[in-house]
Amino acid sequence: MDGVSFVLTSTVVVAATCLASAVVLLIAERYLANYGPCTIDINQGSKKLEVRGGKPLLATLMQQQIFIPSACGGRGTCAYCKVKITDGAPPIAPTELTLLTDEEQQKNVRISCQVKVRNDLAIEIPEALFRVKQFTGVVERMRDLTHDIRELRIRLVEPAAIEFTPGQYVQLEAPAYGDNPEPVYRAYSISSPPSDKGHVELIIRLVPNGICTTWVFTMLKEGDEVRFNGPYGEFRLAEGDAEMVWIAGGSGMAPFWGMTRHMREHNVQRPCTYFFGAVAQRDLFFTDEFHDLEKAMPGFRFVPALSGAENDGWTGEKGLITQVVERHLKDGSGKEGYLCGSSGMIDASVKILKAKGIPEDRIFYDKFT
Amino acid sequence: MEHDPHLQRVLDRMRSGVLSRDGFLGTDPRPLEEVLDADRSAVAALGTTHEEVAARLGEVLDKARAGLGTPIRIGDRLVATHREAMGRIPCPFGGCGTFPKGEVELTDPATGESLFLTALGIHMVGKHGFYQGRGSRYRLEPTALGRLMQLGGG
Repeated sequence: MDGVSFVLTSTVVVAATCLASAVVLLIAERYLANYGPCTIDINQGSKKLEVRGGKPLLATLMQQQIFIPSACGGRGTCAYCKVKITDGAPPIAPTELTLLTDEEQQKNVRISCQVKVRNDLAIEIPEALFRVKQFTGVVERMRDLTHDIRELRIRLVEPAAIEFTPGQYVQLEAPAYGDNPEPVYRAYSISSPPSDKGHVELIIRLVPNGICTTWVFTMLKEGDEVRFNGPYGEFRLAEGDAEMVWIAGGSGMAPFWGMTRHMREHNVQRPCTYFFGAVAQRDLFFTDEFHDLEKAMPGFRFVPALSGAENDGWTGEKGLITQVVERHLKDGSGKEGYLCGSSGMIDASVKILKAKGIPEDRIFYDKFT
Repeated sequence: MEHDPHLQRVLDRMRSGVLSRDGFLGTDPRPLEEVLDADRSAVAALGTTHEEVAARLGEVLDKARAGLGTPIRIGDRLVATHREAMGRIPCPFGGCGTFPKGEVELTDPATGESLFLTALGIHMVGKHGFYQGRGSRYRLEPTALGRLMQLGGG
């Protein structure tokens, strides 16, 4: 064997050995790795979980009935499933680096679906997540509220009842279908009142190119089984009796539909003006129901407004909802703002409410918008 | 071509059903590098840059969003209408945060030509030079952008 052949042969042998070793390691990692029992300490001893290591933290917690919000089903794309790991964290994976800010990295925030449990961990999560459950239910009623907004009424099967605060949301699971290889989860505010413990109602607007909403509008039928987890979220009526200004548009109606019925059921007398913006009359819904509630609730006022140029016959408020709020709200001091809608509507509404004297810390909305 | 793990992750996220129902590549059969190269050349031929295109589109998006669904006139030829959607979507290139969903339909009523803009789409143009694949609802064909927005005097 000459020198060149020897070098080539040696190179091939070394490369093949490395490749084979890598394959063996990957297989071992995938099928054989046994990290044994690990302890996950949550919130400095508030809960201690004994788990078997080897799976991602998100999935491990889910097996223990602790649900961290996640929209992508653990594929490391949505960056929602962030948790703080205060002890035992492995080095940050490249897949996490793209989803974490420098500040989050410094504060030990991690993408839980990308962190494998290999040893004992100490983590911190909001206590409210301990109350989140996985539900199965059946679509009892599905009705179109407008040309692109649909209401689902889901009868709970397992568990058969849900406890939540008006304003909270659930994550509906859209199962794998068509080109979508894995389930995804999308957040929707609960629009039913908490007294209806055996049902959950959701108001969903069709999003072009949306995975979950396309499934709801084209595949889901009455009688189908659905899965969701929740409740999540801090959006709720603050304690006290401060006068409230609600602003919503489109499917942002959902939490307020539940809140109003809850207030009616509990005879809440808190003054409240609800501004609901739409472009045309075909975008309005629940208008009659809200006007009926106005009669039953002396402090409650419903102000629907249309912004489109062609609204012949409309005798109600006209203009962008922010312009309508500007006209109606003389002085915001002492009042609270509650918002639900697109990010554009939220931004514009925050601006106008602040200009009217409502401090930013008294303006509430859910961050998933 | 060498295997680039980062590019593979980007491609994985661009597939239909991962971040959006139809993904970002449409029916375009070209490799991603070829799509990026061709659009880079097309934009250069218009005499502008990705950053300038994104800045112009961003102005349109902001004006349309302020309309809260009402059609807004853009200059003396175009009309932009924002359609709201709740929720946010991450950039498939990674590391850029998330962007509000919702779209703006930008139309020239005289010709009927229209394009769909999104916050994420505009970000990808400006930061990554990615105009999405042909056949995608949100493809921003540089030549069509040039006509509609009169970029580079077009």
